[in-house]
Amino acid sequence: MTSAADRSQAVIEGLDAIGLDYALHLPSSTLAGIIRHLEGKESLRSFPVTREEEAVGIASGLSLAGKKAALIIQDNGLGNLLTALTTFPQAYHIPLFLLVSRRGGLNEYNSMIHTFCERVEDIADAAGLRYWVLNSRVPLDLWPSTVTKAFEHSQITRRPVGVFVDLMGGQP
Amino acid sequence: MTRLDALKAIVAAFPREPTVVTLGATARELAAVARSDNHLYVLDSMGLPPAIGLGLSLGLEDSAFDRCLVIEGDGSLLMGLSTLATIGLLQPSKLLLIVLDNGTYAATGGQKTASEAIDFCAVARDCGIRSADVADHATLESELARCRAAPGPILLRVRIGPENAKVPYLLEDPVILGETFRRYVAAPH
Repeated sequence: MTSAADRSQAVIEGLDAIGLDYALHLPSSTLAGIIRHLEGKESLRSFPVTREEEAVGIASGLSLAGKKAALIIQDNGLGNLLTALTTFPQAYHIPLFLLVSRRGGLNEYNSMIHTFCERVEDIADAAGLRYWVLNSRVPLDLWPSTVTKAFEHSQITRRPVGVFVDLMGGQP
Repeated sequence: MTRLDALKAIVAAFPREPTVVTLGATARELAAVARSDNHLYVLDSMGLPPAIGLGLSLGLEDSAFDRCLVIEGDGSLLMGLSTLATIGLLQPSKLLLIVLDNGTYAATGGQKTASEAIDFCAVARDCGIRSADVADHATLESELARCRAAPGPILLRVRIGPENAKVPYLLEDPVILGETFRRYVAAPH
């Protein structure tokens, strides 16, 4: 049994190993600890963005300039970025890395979040977004390397790659 | 002033700086004026060019480029208007955002935009972005010259007519367009 703090720390270890230059984030209660950690790091520039598709545009520009960037977003915002994702970084083969926190399912307290979040993987599949899932089925000791390798995979394959992480510890 | 006239003036003032250009008639007219590796032609992705330019400007802060340009239209800017707040927050000093404003979605049949309801320069200023309104060709040339040295971020609102030039469609592989631009930016300058 792991705690939310353990899970966030495992993701932080993976992010730190990437050597990010920039972190772009949208508000999320489940990601708050990770965002706080990134905001406190002197080795990278972390800042809020107004919408998910804006984050796709900024991160794509950073990537074209040779910088390492991560989008830190919640899954219920994935719908906002689909057109930007498919028409720009996917179409132009630009590496992009998305850390996406999962909502919905067991342990979820918000009654209105299920409709979109339960279909997020189907939506990502339909959009052709490659992603890895971190949840309670995956041993915590594999989480940091999955985050780091997923970033490397985005660079190698020159496309957007996501890590969908359940920080709430819902039962799959 | 036509869009073609404005694009010629921009290319003359900034022939080598990384330049993100918005979709539709603007991208294909720029390609017709001066096809160049320093141009990133955004073939779709309406609303995204200012965000792409913001990321480039941040990523190129330590580069030899003095400026990073975005050539945007009023309709696309309205779709991604909240990016102005993020530009204001981050203050990318090399970013020059040029908005070619004709009050219409000219490439799709001339439908009206909400441009007449908004003062882009005032919005930019309130976001912490320096701005200037440009209504004629002579002023455009003098503002572009001034922007070579003035600290950014800067927004220029440039009033143009609604007509499109008769130029070919730009139907090239976006992978090649993106990689050509990336290599240009990465090369020593």
